[in-house]
Amino acid sequence: MRIDSHHIKIVDLIRLGFFSLLLISPSVWATPTIQIEIRNHLFFPSEIEIAAGQKVKLVVINKDNSAEEFESYELNREKVIPGNSKGIIFVGPLKTGEYPFFGEFFPKTAQGIIHVK
Amino acid sequence: MLINAVILILREVLEAALIISVLLALSERLELSKTWFAKGIVVGVIGAVLYADNLSLVSNLFDGIGQEIVNVSLYSLIFVLISVLIAAFKKSHSYNLISFFMLSCVALSIVREGSEIIVYIEGFINIPDLLYSVLIGSSIGAGIGMSIGVFIYYLIINLPSRYGVGLGLLLLVFIAAGMVSQATQLLLQADLIVSQEPLWDTSMWLSEHSLWGEILFALMGYEATPTPIQVGLYITSIALTGKLAMNSLKSYQQKQG
Repeated sequence: MRIDSHHIKIVDLIRLGFFSLLLISPSVWATPTIQIEIRNHLFFPSEIEIAAGQKVKLVVINKDNSAEEFESYELNREKVIPGNSKGIIFVGPLKTGEYPFFGEFFPKTAQGIIHVK
Repeated sequence: MLINAVILILREVLEAALIISVLLALSERLELSKTWFAKGIVVGVIGAVLYADNLSLVSNLFDGIGQEIVNVSLYSLIFVLISVLIAAFKKSHSYNLISFFMLSCVALSIVREGSEIIVYIEGFINIPDLLYSVLIGSSIGAGIGMSIGVFIYYLIINLPSRYGVGLGLLLLVFIAAGMVSQATQLLLQADLIVSQEPLWDTSMWLSEHSLWGEILFALMGYEATPTPIQVGLYITSIALTGKLAMNSLKSYQQKQG
């Protein structure tokens, strides 16, 4: 059976697109972005507020020379941010509550919390 | 800082040690020679150093989610290798292929866990006050992790053949599920799959912070607040690899006579 343009129907393309959307989350919607800086093993800001049920993009900028690992059990997020670089972490949608996060490499100082209202 | 180093290094070492000790014990059951193990460690360490040195570069790839993509690939590859090993676990199969797969699992685990250990310790080279306690803590954590691995190795070796192999395969089933669990978490973190609200919250019963929570996390990817996709993929993994394990155990027992 020869495959030519007559055999590839629009319907097939639509099916392909539909299945792709199932896996790829809709970044068409604008996702709010929040910046967090790491300086001297501290988070700035260390307290953040976001809306419940909302997906949010955290941009963690590590201004220290040494790496830090952004981690939170409650948020289920864990990412190493090398020194002098930044990392992107998506969180949410979340139920209302308090979600602490910390720097696993320097946990005594690097602590923060996300208030979900 | 010392306690922190103990816990951190223990977590990383435990994940790799579990895979290594189960595979070593099972290869002992198959009477394979263990050179694959040494090669796997060497390749793994080299890979870990390369990855750690280039972490910044990798992280910035793919619009800032390069790290997640690489780690998901590592976990997925380990998952596939373990699944094949479970299915192919028979004495009559090609020893070279099984050894190669085991070597690869070991190497990939070491790349993933080792790179994080390297990045962590490197950060303290310029903070001599803390470096000492970090190194001590790391050694203790590594020691504990490796001891647990040694314990599991001897457990599998010394149990009667059928139970030892059964335990080894069971552990592989859970390790595979753990790989799926962690890969899914990274995909959520990178916004590559649809994120949803968690299905349940068992942190009241077993917190991820607790000792058992950490052990179960390393062993089988325990999550206190999994999303529906994580639960679905996890169950699928257990069902698939569990079936393969049962088949392999049956044919191993038949061969034993």
